[in-house]
Amino acid sequence: MKNHRSHPLRIAAVVGLAAILPSLASAQSANPAPPPPPAWKQGMPAAMSDSKLAPLAGKMTITPAAEIPLQNVKLPPGFKVEIWATGIPGGRAMARGDDGKVYVGTRAIGRVYEITDNGRERTARVVVDKLVQPAGVAFRNGSLYVMAINKVLRFDGIEKNPNAAPVDLTDNFKLPPEQHHNWKYIAFGPDGKLYVPFGAPCNICELPTPEYAQIRRYNPDGSGMEVLATGIRNSVGFDWHPVTKELWFTNHGRDWWGDDKPHDTLHRLHKTGLSFGFPHCHEGTLPDDAVTKPNACAGVEKPVALMGPHSAVMGVTFYTGNMFPAEYKNVAFVARKGSWNRNTKIGFDIVTVRADADGRNARVTPFMTGFLNSSDQTFWGRPAYMLQMPDGAMLVSDEQLGAIYRISYSR
Amino acid sequence: MSVLKPFVALMLGLVWPGISAQASGPSQPARLVQCADCHSPDSPRLSADYPLLAGQPKTFLENQMIMIREGLREIPMKRGIFDNVSDQEIISIAQHFSKQTIGASRTPKDIALYARGEKVAKELLCGTCHLPNYAGRDQMPRLAGQHESYLLNTMRKFRNNQAIGRDTIMAASLYGVHEDDLRAMAHYFSQLDR
Repeated sequence: MKNHRSHPLRIAAVVGLAAILPSLASAQSANPAPPPPPAWKQGMPAAMSDSKLAPLAGKMTITPAAEIPLQNVKLPPGFKVEIWATGIPGGRAMARGDDGKVYVGTRAIGRVYEITDNGRERTARVVVDKLVQPAGVAFRNGSLYVMAINKVLRFDGIEKNPNAAPVDLTDNFKLPPEQHHNWKYIAFGPDGKLYVPFGAPCNICELPTPEYAQIRRYNPDGSGMEVLATGIRNSVGFDWHPVTKELWFTNHGRDWWGDDKPHDTLHRLHKTGLSFGFPHCHEGTLPDDAVTKPNACAGVEKPVALMGPHSAVMGVTFYTGNMFPAEYKNVAFVARKGSWNRNTKIGFDIVTVRADADGRNARVTPFMTGFLNSSDQTFWGRPAYMLQMPDGAMLVSDEQLGAIYRISYSR
Repeated sequence: MSVLKPFVALMLGLVWPGISAQASGPSQPARLVQCADCHSPDSPRLSADYPLLAGQPKTFLENQMIMIREGLREIPMKRGIFDNVSDQEIISIAQHFSKQTIGASRTPKDIALYARGEKVAKELLCGTCHLPNYAGRDQMPRLAGQHESYLLNTMRKFRNNQAIGRDTIMAASLYGVHEDDLRAMAHYFSQLDR
């Protein structure tokens, strides 16, 4: 296996800060200008300065199956859940290979896992490590695509050749320098192109350069780059509607705006060139009060559904299988990893969104709950992404416990 | 090839979660004695490069050990020290140190420096994450009672964007902070009650 010790973190960190922050006068001056607020605290009003809200800690160590309290999970009648794989700390987005191997991306722990099912049990190995948040995984024509914040790798024939050396495609993709919100979810669309979001390098700010807060698509080799939509603060999940083939994507709303606004959102892209409002307009109708412009919400696309304030919406998967009851056909399942920027936690679940094909009349309904104990505000798991299997069962990744669960249905 | 060993350990942990990885090297108690040589309150090695580990939040310690083992956080003098150390062992090492208490500071308090540090820390909202008493929590370290020169050295690295493999939030939080303010905060935090 190739060792990728090219100090990606050093490069990313240095380039990142140099790009976003103006060069300050020497730190030796007697009265230096106050430093700009750190990315995640931007927009935190003085009234909230006593707040102790902070991003939730992930778990980087293995959680054995015996320590996963799956008995707490609640599903609608007829559905059951079981442990499918464990021992993959930080595992989140999943992509299935032609031969059935499942590839799983991560953030902080820097790994991509490959899970093999021999019919009785699942085993995992690390395909590549020491990458800068390789959250993006996609599979096409026998090749695994991995996208870290600052790197794009393609492993050809990897299911049959575990030692496949990666092809480095990074230069073709014109990745921006900033790290914040630029860990990826990637996927190939029905058009065979690779869809890649680029988040805003801040909580709330005017964009330093136009290459952020957008979704692009590329040919698999990185050529033919197109910007499809702008004003998207941070999307880490999307899928294509089974009938219309339109892209539906989730978005994380800004922080430090109170417990009840703005909602995270689910959107539909019915043509290219649409604007979704960030930074000046949230939820399609709420002007920001710090980063302003006249008629902030004019021409801004409204969401299909409001998904809960700060709930951390992640994967979207339209169900197209035959195992679940017919009422679930073409319904969008959306994972909500769970809130940190809210005094009372919400999310930590999977919901369904039933809507017309044009996005109207959306109804959001809890589907998989039990990860959060509302009475004492403790949580044990954070569902992040779904993957529909050939038999119609659905896999769910739990980024907190580094495990994958399998949801099945029988009458 | 030493590259293979951690992955063998990982796979053993995955297929049979009850079995901890083949530990080659010192046993658990011996490993802790090894850590204490440099990282305990009595150690003469405490310095700009060697922090006190006692009383650090468990998740913080776990994460740092994992990051060091995985080669994501590069500390030249720690390279290889966590090879073949299983997740389970790391969890219990973290547990061990998080339960320890440090004891009173051994260095005299500089009143002016202390006051300045207290003020700057409040302005920078350090307490939002590290808590108002700077005891830290979850993945955010305890600042209160940490060795003064270690605090200064670490904050400097964050400010200068030289803390490779560490949280980018901290580099952003300390960006542009004046050297005198770093020195004041290092002194203030190190003097705080444990």
